Amino acid sequence: MIVESMSVDPGEFAAATGWASKPEGLCKDVRCVPIPDGITDEGLLDLNVVVERLGMPVVHDADSGLYAIGPECGGRALTSAEAPDVELEDVDGNPFDLAAMHGRKTLLVAWASW
Amino acid sequence: MNPENPRPFIEAANPTHPSLIDTEHVTDRLFGFVNVPMAVWIDEDGMIVRPAEGASIERSPLREMDVPEGLPERIEKAFVEVKKFPDTADAYRAAIHDWVENGADSRFALSPDEVIARSRPRPVEHGLAAAHFELGTHYHHAGGNDAAAPWWREAHRLHPENWTYKRQAWSLATTPEGEPPDLLQGPTDLYEGNWLDDVLAAGGGEKYVVVPDLG
Repeated sequence: MIVESMSVDPGEFAAATGWASKPEGLCKDVRCVPIPDGITDEGLLDLNVVVERLGMPVVHDADSGLYAIGPECGGRALTSAEAPDVELEDVDGNPFDLAAMHGRKTLLVAWASW
Repeated sequence: MNPENPRPFIEAANPTHPSLIDTEHVTDRLFGFVNVPMAVWIDEDGMIVRPAEGASIERSPLREMDVPEGLPERIEKAFVEVKKFPDTADAYRAAIHDWVENGADSRFALSPDEVIARSRPRPVEHGLAAAHFELGTHYHHAGGNDAAAPWWREAHRLHPENWTYKRQAWSLATTPEGEPPDLLQGPTDLYEGNWLDDVLAAGGGEKYVVVPDLG
């Protein structure tokens, strides 16, 4: 997730990371992480608090001012066996939501032209 | 990262399944893909039953070939390493068929705890690599290879086992504009690494694939 400021809209953060802001804190699949002092007076997420609580590394480009928020780390790539929400486009630009495959076995294969 | 690059392959295959384009390596972050081909299995309820692992399903004809004589040295050496890739195609394909037939009763369908335990490790360095790679990708959109390279180089250093970061960056640097993606990904001025030397440094072709644990 790339941001211009370390204060972001909770909806934007949820869309990018899957972590939704709820009364209990930030929640994703069966996990909820309290984020005391993680909400600014304007109702934005203070990412300085959030990334520490969620274990997300941050890279800052001082020249452009941009921040890149990396995925949760310190353990495994998967923290849940629930398949995450994924929406990508096909080669013609049509969006496809992986959730549309519910009810069917899905073999999700990554390949590349290189 | 031209989303049109996969089109010839998709059209040639004429699949009945969706073929999606992931220029931002979203699936790397979400599932732990570090090379291609890799796959995850997801059941009817949206549960992952096998984490990201090497997903070859067809034995490469290269395995049966002798290394042709007269090849340029680096191509010959690359050929030798490709022939060393672990051969898991038949077993993996059989496992898929078993899952299709037997569903949750298939011995290849793992419990949630096992799925998580077998997923790729993600130390802090790998998270930082992902962040660097994402920044590089962002800059590549506007500034091309030169703008992306400093960030992608750091991603390579932080996560040397992530071949998708490397191969994409190298391919973009070695492929002339408008040409099909370069598969050999040799030395460039932009990156310290290249396919052959990095594979050799990693222990050779034997170490290149995330071998599926089908035991």
